[in-house]
Formats: sequence, C-alpha cells, structure tokens
Amino acid sequence: MSGRDAMVFGLLGLGVSIELVACLGVAAMHDVYDRLHYVAPSVLGALLIVAAVWVREGPSMISLKATLLGAFLLIASPALAHGTARAARLSERGDWRAQVGDEIEVEEP
Amino acid sequence: MNEWQIAAAVLIAALVPCGWVCLRASFAEGVVGVQLAGTLAALALLVLAEGEARQPFADLAVVLAVLSFAGTLVFLRFLERQR
Repeated sequence: MSGRDAMVFGLLGLGVSIELVACLGVAAMHDVYDRLHYVAPSVLGALLIVAAVWVREGPSMISLKATLLGAFLLIASPALAHGTARAARLSERGDWRAQVGDEIEVEEP
Repeated sequence: MNEWQIAAAVLIAALVPCGWVCLRASFAEGVVGVQLAGTLAALALLVLAEGEARQPFADLAVVLAVLSFAGTLVFLRFLERQR
C-alpha cells in the first residue's frame, strides 16, 4: 500500500465516521435544537470525503464535481441550520426574537 | 467490494436513523432528519461514482444536493406557518 492509498483510506474512513457520528447524534437527541447541532459535523465529513477523492484522482472532472458538491454543502448547510432553528422557534412562539420572559437581556426598540 | 463501495454502503445505511427520526419525531425534528439525509445521500452518490469509476454519476450527487436544499427550504416554509 502506497502512502497515497493510506491517505485515501484515512480521509475516507474519517469522513464516513464523522457522518456516522452526525447521524447517530441526530437520532439520539430529544429536541430539535439539540438535533441541529449534530448536522454541522456532516459538512466536515463531506469535506474529508471530497479530499479523499482529490488525493486519489488528482485534478480531474470528478474532483471538480466533488469540490463543487463540498463548496455547496459548506454554504448551504449553515444556512439551512439557521433557517430550521428560526422556523422551529417561529412555529413554537410566533416570533423568532428573544422575548422578555426568556431570561435574555432584551433591548427595547 | 472496494473501499469506496463499502463507504457508500455505510453512508446508505446511515439513512435509516434519519428515516426513523422523520417517522417518529415531530415535524421540526423530521426536517432536521431530511436535511442530514440529503447530505448523506449526495455523498453516497459521489462515493459510488468514484467506486464504480463512472465520473458522470457524480453529476447526480451535485443535482441531489441542490434539489435537497430547495426541498428542505419548502419544508421550512411549511414549518414556519405551522402553529
């Protein structure tokens, strides 16, 4: 096994392991906000898998597509996490901003 | 099976807990499950394309990621209106 193969194995294994941790975390938590915290590591796992493709293939068309996928996930995933938390709070309370009873210091408008 | 196909199989198996969350938890928590499932499915398609040495299949992964993002946004709109 060459050094490059070992690096591919390492990156791929680490990426898939992080995806598994994210998946188990989402399944194990009991609240929408707790579950949301475990979606974030999935982007890190995706970037490691993209890196594994790059190390194996070098600059090629599939590496370019993998990079495109990784970049899209890097941008879209935090936006979706924010949107999900905002939508969950809106459906719970009708307003996403902090209220007086939340034990958070609220600035008067 | 090579290592890429094994990785794809693990990623596809990881969809099962996401489906379980969608089925058993509340609507908001199900949206989180759908969000993670979209990422996992796109990565599984990318890894399968690499494992099968069929580069055009990677297009499916990119398209799925974009469509999954749009689909989740629609579910979020429904969630916002649900009170």
